[in-house]
Amino acid sequence: MTNSIREIRDADCIFITGSNTAESHPVLSYEVVRAAKRGAHVVILDPRRVPLVDHATLFLQAKPGTDIYIFLAMMHVIVREGWDDQAFIAERTEGYDAFVEVLRPYTPERAALMTGVPIEQIEAAARIYALGERADGASLYGDGRGHSTILYAMGITQRRNGTDLVMTLANLAMLCGQVGKPSTGVNPLRGQSNVQGACDVGCLVNVLPGYQNVTDAARRQAVAARWGVEDLPGAVGLTVVEAMDAAAEGKVRAAYIMGENPMLSDPNTTHVEAALRTLDFLVVQDIFLSDTAQLAHVVLPAASSLEKDGTITNTERRVQLIYPVIPPPGVARPDWEITGEIGARLDERLGRDRDPATWRFPSTAAIMEEIAAVTPIYGGILHPRLEGAGLQWPCPNADHPGTPILHTAAFSRGKGFFNLVEAQDPAELPDAEYPLILSTGRVLYHYHTGTMTRRSAPLNWREPGGYVEINPEDAAAAGLANGDEVVIESRRGAVQTWVKVSTDVPPGTVFIAFHWREAPANMLTQDHTLDPVAKIPEYKVCAVRLKKPHAAQEAAASAAD
Amino acid sequence: MITLTIDGNSIQAAPGTTVMEAALAHGIDIPRLCYHPELSISGNCRLCMVEVEGWLNPTISCSLECQEGMVVRTQSAQLTAIRREILGLLLSDHPLNCLVCDKAGSCILQKYAYEVGLAGTPYPVEVARPLHQDDNPFFIRDHQFCIMCSRCVRVCDEVVGAHAIDIAGRGFHNHIATPFDGPMIDSSCVFCGSCVQVCPTAALLPASRKGLGREWELDRIKTICGYCGVGCEIEFAVKDGEILYARGTPEGPVNGEFLCTKGRYGWDFAESPDRLTQPLIRRDLAYALGLTDTPWALPETSVLEVEKPNIEDSFIPVDWDTALDVTATKLAETVQTYGPDAVMGLASARCTNEENYLFQKLMRLGIGTNNVDHCARL
Repeated sequence: MTNSIREIRDADCIFITGSNTAESHPVLSYEVVRAAKRGAHVVILDPRRVPLVDHATLFLQAKPGTDIYIFLAMMHVIVREGWDDQAFIAERTEGYDAFVEVLRPYTPERAALMTGVPIEQIEAAARIYALGERADGASLYGDGRGHSTILYAMGITQRRNGTDLVMTLANLAMLCGQVGKPSTGVNPLRGQSNVQGACDVGCLVNVLPGYQNVTDAARRQAVAARWGVEDLPGAVGLTVVEAMDAAAEGKVRAAYIMGENPMLSDPNTTHVEAALRTLDFLVVQDIFLSDTAQLAHVVLPAASSLEKDGTITNTERRVQLIYPVIPPPGVARPDWEITGEIGARLDERLGRDRDPATWRFPSTAAIMEEIAAVTPIYGGILHPRLEGAGLQWPCPNADHPGTPILHTAAFSRGKGFFNLVEAQDPAELPDAEYPLILSTGRVLYHYHTGTMTRRSAPLNWREPGGYVEINPEDAAAAGLANGDEVVIESRRGAVQTWVKVSTDVPPGTVFIAFHWREAPANMLTQDHTLDPVAKIPEYKVCAVRLKKPHAAQEAAASAAD
Repeated sequence: MITLTIDGNSIQAAPGTTVMEAALAHGIDIPRLCYHPELSISGNCRLCMVEVEGWLNPTISCSLECQEGMVVRTQSAQLTAIRREILGLLLSDHPLNCLVCDKAGSCILQKYAYEVGLAGTPYPVEVARPLHQDDNPFFIRDHQFCIMCSRCVRVCDEVVGAHAIDIAGRGFHNHIATPFDGPMIDSSCVFCGSCVQVCPTAALLPASRKGLGREWELDRIKTICGYCGVGCEIEFAVKDGEILYARGTPEGPVNGEFLCTKGRYGWDFAESPDRLTQPLIRRDLAYALGLTDTPWALPETSVLEVEKPNIEDSFIPVDWDTALDVTATKLAETVQTYGPDAVMGLASARCTNEENYLFQKLMRLGIGTNNVDHCARL
C-alpha cells in the first residue's frame, strides 16, 4: 500500500475494485465501514456483489474481465470534464499528453457496451473519485478536493493484463492528484500474513532483497560481497508456473518447497501434480501433510506462526514482531533453523569450505541484522526497534522513523510516468462449448488452501464444504436447484461440488473458492496465458460449462469407449 | 482550545471533546459501563455522572461537551451514592455468580461493585433475561449477565457493519436479539467476536474458555495474526501451554482491539492431531536408502483422491540428522549432475522475513540459482 490502513477511515471517497474486502481482509473492511458511516462515498467495481456492497453508495457490476474499459472511460470523463488535477500533473508527472491521446477512444458509451454498467454510473464514479466527493458530512481535510483512496486486490492482478491494470489504477490516482497525501493512494491488499515481506526479502525470481535487480551487476555484487563470494547468478529465474512447466519437461529435477501447497494454489492442478511427480527429488517443509507434501520424498515438520519468533510485514509495509505463544509439537522446528541446517550441510556435500555461520544463526534477530545490511529499504529495521508498533519501510537507517505514506514529495523514479495502456480482453472467453465464466476467490471462514482453517473446529462448523455460486438464470437453464450436485468442466479438468444459487454473481458467471481439496477450483483454471510481466495466472476468468453428475459420467464413459 | 477544570486540574481540550474524553486523556478515571472509545455515545448506563459547578443536577460526562471555564467534579459523596444506586439496580437483575464466573477478574460490573463496596443489591432480585444461547462454537450468549449497555449492538453495526443484533422488546423485558430471535448462523453475523470483545460482563463469552481458567491464572502473549496481510495484533490467553482464547487490545497498531473470525477463533489448527511432529522419508526413497526392507511405489491415483492421508502408509519417520542429510545430499547431487538451475525453491508467504531471507540466500548462494518464488502471484 502507498498509504496506511488507519487512514482509510478518514477518506472522503473509497474506490474498491477487485477486492472482496469484507471476506478476504475483514478488519480492513471495518475501516471502510467506519468511513461510510461518517459519510464517505464507497464506490465498488466488481463482477460479484461482494458483502461490502451493503455499505457502498455506488456499485458498478461489470462483466468479468471488462473493468479496464471502465477505468479508461473514467479517466476519459475526468479529462473531458476538467476534473483532473492540473497542478499535480504539471509538477509531479510526465507523459500526460500522449496518455490523454490514448484515452480518447475509450468513451463511457463504449465502456457501457463492453461492461454492462450504465454510462451515468461510470460518470458518477469518475466525478466522485476525482473530486473526492462525500455522500454526507464534511471532509477532515480542508485542502481543496476531497481525499480519495483506491483499494484493490487479486481481482486486478490475477489477470492476463494484471500489470496493465495496476498501472491504470496508478494513472487514475496521478491524474487526480490522489496520491502522496493522507487517505489517498493506490493500495493493494495483500492476501497472506507475510506475502509483502517474502517479496521484500527477495523470494522473487528477478530481485535480490529490497527489490534490487539480479541483472544489475553492481547491486548483485554488493550482496555477494556481504555473503562472502564474488558474484551471484545474474539470470532471472523461473516463476512458479514456469518452474512447473520446466519440471514437467525434465529441466527442473529437484524442488524445495517451504510452507506452500501448489497442488491447490497453482493453476491447472492435473498439470501441477504431473510435474511434481516427475521430480527426482521433492522436499516439503510444512506444518501439515498437505496435498503437495503427500508427493514429497522428504517431509520436514515446521513450527507454526504461533510457535516461533521473527518478523512479518503487513500490506501497509509495517514490519512487526511475532512471538511464540505455544510450544511446537513433537520435534518440529522453526523454518529458519531447518533451512539453515540444509544450507550448512549442502556446503559440506558440495565440498565448499565456508563458515557454517553463513547458515546457522543464533537467533532471528541476528538474521534481521544481515537483512538490514543487504536490504536498503530495511536498513534501519532491527528487532529492538520493533517493540510496540513496528516500523513501516522504507526505513533506510537506524534513526529513520519509517514511512507511513509513500511518494509524498517525489515518486521513486522522480516524476510519475503515465504508462500508456490499451484495453485487453481475458485470454479465455466463453464460447458455445464452454459458455460460462469461472472466477475464483475466497470465503470469509477459510484461508488459502485451507490446510489451517479447515482444521479449525469453529471455522469448519460455519463453512464445512465447498460450493459453486450460480446465478438463478444460469441455474434454471441448467436445471439446477440450491443444494444440487453439479460438475463444472473446463478445458483442463472437472470438479464436482454443490450448487448455491445466488444473485451475488451475475448471469453468465460462476464462482468457486479455492480452499476445497475435494473440489479443487484450480483443476479448472488456465495456465496457458500469464500476465507477460508478472507471470501471474488469470484465476479470475476462464471458460467453463455445467453438467449434472450423471450426464458428466455418461459423457466420460462414452468418450472412453 | 478550551480550558476547563476537572477535579481541580486545569485541562486543555479541542472543541467538540467530551468531558469523558478530556478526563480519560489526562488520566482521570470516570466510572463507565456503556461508554467505549471506539463507539458512538449511548449514555444508557448513567454511571459516568459528574457534577458541573453552577448546574443544578449531575449529568453524564460521556455526552457532555467541554465548555470554556467549566468546573467539573468526578468524585463526591453525592456521585458515589448515585453510582451505588445504579449498580444496585443492575445487580438486582444480574446473578451474583462471581464465584464460578469465567469473567470474574475482568468483569467491569464486578470492578465497580467492588469499588463502591457493594456486596449485593438492596432490591428484590429478579433476573429478567434467563435466556442461555450456545447455538454456535464461537461464543456463548448468557443473557442473565447482560446489563443492556448495547456495546455489542453498536460494535456490530458501527465497526463491523454486520448489524446482526439489536435490542428487542421493551422495558424490563428487552434483550439483545438476532432477527426474530433466530439462531446466530441464520443472522448476518460474521462471527468476528467483536461483541464478545467489548462486552463488559459474562453475557458474551468465548466458547473455548468456558470453565477452563480464571482470568488471573492466564498468561497473556501478544503476537501478530498469521492469516491475511492486514497484520492484526492478537493477545492470546494461555494456561499451561494451551490457548484458551484470543482477543484484541486497544494498543494494536493496525486493528486496535478488533479482529475477524479467523484471527479470533481460527487458532486451534495449531493443536490439531494432524500436525507433523517428526521428519518423514517416503517409503520408496527409504527403501532405496536401506532404511526399510519393504519395497513401495507411490500410487498413481491423484493425491486429491485420497480422502484422509495416512502418514504411515507412505512415509517412515526418521530423525532430523537423517532427514537433513538426505535432503542436502539429494540437492547436491542434482546441482552436480544437472546444474543449479535444475533446482527450484518455493518460499512461503506464511513464514517470517528471517526465514524467507534465509531461504532465498540458500537458493542463490547455496544452490546457485534465481529459481526462487512464492505464492505472491497466486
